[in-house]
Amino acid sequence: MDLFEFEGKERLREAGIPTPGSAMVYEAGGAAPLPYPFVLKAQALVGGRGKAGGIKVCGDDAEFARNASAILGMDIKGHTVHGLMAEEMAKPEHELYLSVSLNGEGGKPLLIASPMGGMDIEQVARERPDKLLTLTVDPFTGIHAYQYKMLAELLPMAEAEDLIATVDKVYAAMKALNATLIEINPLGVVNGKLVALDAKVALDDDAARLNEGLIAKIKAGREKLRGYSEPERENNTITFVPLCGDVGLISDGAGTGMLALDLVGDAGGTVASFCELGGITTADTMYRAMEKTRAPGNTGQSQLIVLSGGFNRMDDMANGITRYMREHAVTVPVFTRMCGTMEEEGFAIMKAHGLQYHTDLMETVRLCVAAARAPSGDAFGEGR
Amino acid sequence: MAILINKDTRVLVQGITGKSGLLQTTVMQEAGTRIVAGVTPGKGGQVAVGVPVYNFVAEARAEHDFDAVISFVPPLGARDSSIEAIDAGISLLVLTTEGIPRRHVAEIVAYAKSRGTHLVGPGCAGLIAPGICKVGSHPTRFFMPGRVGVVSKSGALSYEIGKTLSDAGIGQSTVAAIGGGPVWGFTQRDAAALFQEDPDTDVIVLLGEIGGNLEETAAAYIKARVTKPVVALIVGRNAPEGKSLGHAGAIVNGDAGTAETKIKALTDAGATVVANPAQLCAEVKKHL
Repeated sequence: MDLFEFEGKERLREAGIPTPGSAMVYEAGGAAPLPYPFVLKAQALVGGRGKAGGIKVCGDDAEFARNASAILGMDIKGHTVHGLMAEEMAKPEHELYLSVSLNGEGGKPLLIASPMGGMDIEQVARERPDKLLTLTVDPFTGIHAYQYKMLAELLPMAEAEDLIATVDKVYAAMKALNATLIEINPLGVVNGKLVALDAKVALDDDAARLNEGLIAKIKAGREKLRGYSEPERENNTITFVPLCGDVGLISDGAGTGMLALDLVGDAGGTVASFCELGGITTADTMYRAMEKTRAPGNTGQSQLIVLSGGFNRMDDMANGITRYMREHAVTVPVFTRMCGTMEEEGFAIMKAHGLQYHTDLMETVRLCVAAARAPSGDAFGEGR
Repeated sequence: MAILINKDTRVLVQGITGKSGLLQTTVMQEAGTRIVAGVTPGKGGQVAVGVPVYNFVAEARAEHDFDAVISFVPPLGARDSSIEAIDAGISLLVLTTEGIPRRHVAEIVAYAKSRGTHLVGPGCAGLIAPGICKVGSHPTRFFMPGRVGVVSKSGALSYEIGKTLSDAGIGQSTVAAIGGGPVWGFTQRDAAALFQEDPDTDVIVLLGEIGGNLEETAAAYIKARVTKPVVALIVGRNAPEGKSLGHAGAIVNGDAGTAETKIKALTDAGATVVANPAQLCAEVKKHL
């Protein structure tokens, strides 16, 4: 779960890291939330807000009214702006970069610091690798004394002590929030003190159950964002990626799904959508996968289902497929490749419903692509 | 012989009384695995599919000899149960659990490494040495004994290729499915190293996918150290950029993690890179 800047900064303040004074603005036309001048920042989960015109300085009521109505509702790279953060103008003497992520070797915490803040850190890495410090932190022992010394050496300034304290706070916050990323860019030096001038925080979705209170608090805050709706999280593990092509694809494994994607391409076809069941492989998950893949706009000219059961059971898969086929008028041919755990039971269920199945993957793909190219005839595919 | 497991491997199952634990324990027993004990906190003293159940790994340790653990513990219990298993001094932990919090995964991986335990996973199908032992969730019938060593990120792809090879009469020494990432304990490089030393493996099959740099790391090792023939298949050639296709680790960002870079690295390392299971089978056959 990615946090908006205002939410990330609230987390930083809770962790004892100063941020400029701020107030949220949810609609244009209200009274000034802060004394002028202040900066108005679009709240959107995307980079490049400034370049897109989503960050403006307001010096008086007229400017505030004009900027607020221009930025609210603005589209930035596909992200609609549902709220604004008014923030005190900060005039940093210097800008640093600081982040902690779980991108180290073996998933360990990775601490990145640079005296060249305010620019894209990948650009710093390319152009000034000498100005970038990357430290992998042992998850059990935490940051070592020599690593603090390396940090202090990178930033030879009076603020080094402040920086080390800030690093400790960010590291502790990463653990407390179950965050996968906390990035402060820039971390400004304002009147000799470190202040977080931006905040990018991502929470670990796999840790959602450890973060229930925090997530509830964040969601309650988001209710004030006008017209914002939380992306719906379904109670299943399906991955669905709409593509543009002629064959709808469902697989019960990511690896075989990607293999099928490649084989469809090699056979001269294109995939309309990629759907993978993930870890929960019940009959209901299979049914939901059929619903998603057969939804208007995704359908393609034929349907390919690639199953090779390990954890999942072919009787469950067959029950999901047959239930969907019974309840819906499927007008395109469906080609099911079925083998693995409980396959005999799965075959029997398919047969009992008059549905065909195949066992050879490359042959199934070939038939399915051919059917997509010349759609007609047998709605249930050819098979044994 | 095989890698990581063999006919003498004795296994403890963590989470044995859960739905997956019960089913997979039965299937592993049918595949010849010697399962000596199970652990589910609070279920100590019970017997599950003929296996004695304990509350703690240490309690099982007092009664039984085992060197491998396979875990079906739910995500939030995985960190503690993995550390508990590693503390019992085992040589192998197969962690099948998906969706473990990322920071917990980092701790499990670091702890296993510091104690010299091979950690396969998390989120993996595990290991099968056909006809000898299975510490995983592979459908046994897809595999047969032989001299091809297979390592795959994806479980399902390892079944697919196992089946294709077996249907062509080509058996396997060990098939290792290491998980979809983005963080791994045991890697394709580690598998290549063990297969190179394994007297019962003649050909190494590496099944990779887009995202990350595990295949590139394996390729560098193969180039430097592996003399056995390597046949590789990289899936996700036709995947769109920036979209994760089911495995968290299977994502292409810009130029990083593409099929092209992996195919090039493996080809440069002397591996034969094929486009589909049929080609893979034909190529492996040439080396047997």
